[in-house]
Amino acid sequence: MSGESRTPGRTSSGGRGFEIVLIAVYGIFAISATARSGVQMLRDLSAAPVAYVLSLLAALTYIAVTVALVRGGRRSRTALVLCLVELAGVLVVGTLTVLDPALFADATVWSVFGQGYGYVPLALPVLALVYLTRSGRRGRTA
Amino acid sequence: MTVLSIVVAVLGGLTALLGIYYTLRGFSADLVLLGACALLALGWIVLGVALGLRDLAGGGPEDPITLYGYLLTALVMAIGGGWLGVFERSRWGSLVIAVAALVSAVLLLRLHEIWPGGFA
Repeated sequence: MSGESRTPGRTSSGGRGFEIVLIAVYGIFAISATARSGVQMLRDLSAAPVAYVLSLLAALTYIAVTVALVRGGRRSRTALVLCLVELAGVLVVGTLTVLDPALFADATVWSVFGQGYGYVPLALPVLALVYLTRSGRRGRTA
Repeated sequence: MTVLSIVVAVLGGLTALLGIYYTLRGFSADLVLLGACALLALGWIVLGVALGLRDLAGGGPEDPITLYGYLLTALVMAIGGGWLGVFERSRWGSLVIAVAALVSAVLLLRLHEIWPGGFA
């Protein structure tokens, strides 16, 4: 495990760097949110239609961000806009569910700021926006 | 089944810790980390087959779709994490493996809630 010479923290020319972590996490959320809302809607859409449609919207946002990051990388403006949409979604749904817990008949991915997912849904767009704006600025000045 | 579950949990924890260590040291994934990831994937396959056999024996889970969905997702996590670790030759490839291993550990916890009888 140690002692051997291994490639240190240099990113090779073909590498994506930290971007790959964002892509992986967004990919995980895209898969899990899609699977969750898909199963819920196919099973009984009438049980909590608003909550399930919101979960589907969250899932579509995660898919879109993943695709934008894979295609455009850290300087993708689409990814930046989508992350803003995602953050707005988490904040609106999170605030609504805190103010009125009975508003939706079932939990969504974004309920109480993503409580059911360890608040990662709230942290993820913030992290992505910080990373995207920083590397975007660096890219433009270069 | 409990033993198998503990083995998968330990493999997941070790893979995650190793991945975090590699990230902090700036190492890209090598055969040790990828091997841990492969062992984790193997552990999930064995656990999935064992749970499937118990399901076939009767007294299966109330919610088989979620159960097998979680099993499949956990396997995809382990394999996908390793796959990205192979192609991203930087410390961030190691972090992807750590994240994938952590998520698969969370999935294991949820698996116990979905079908407590399967692990009894």
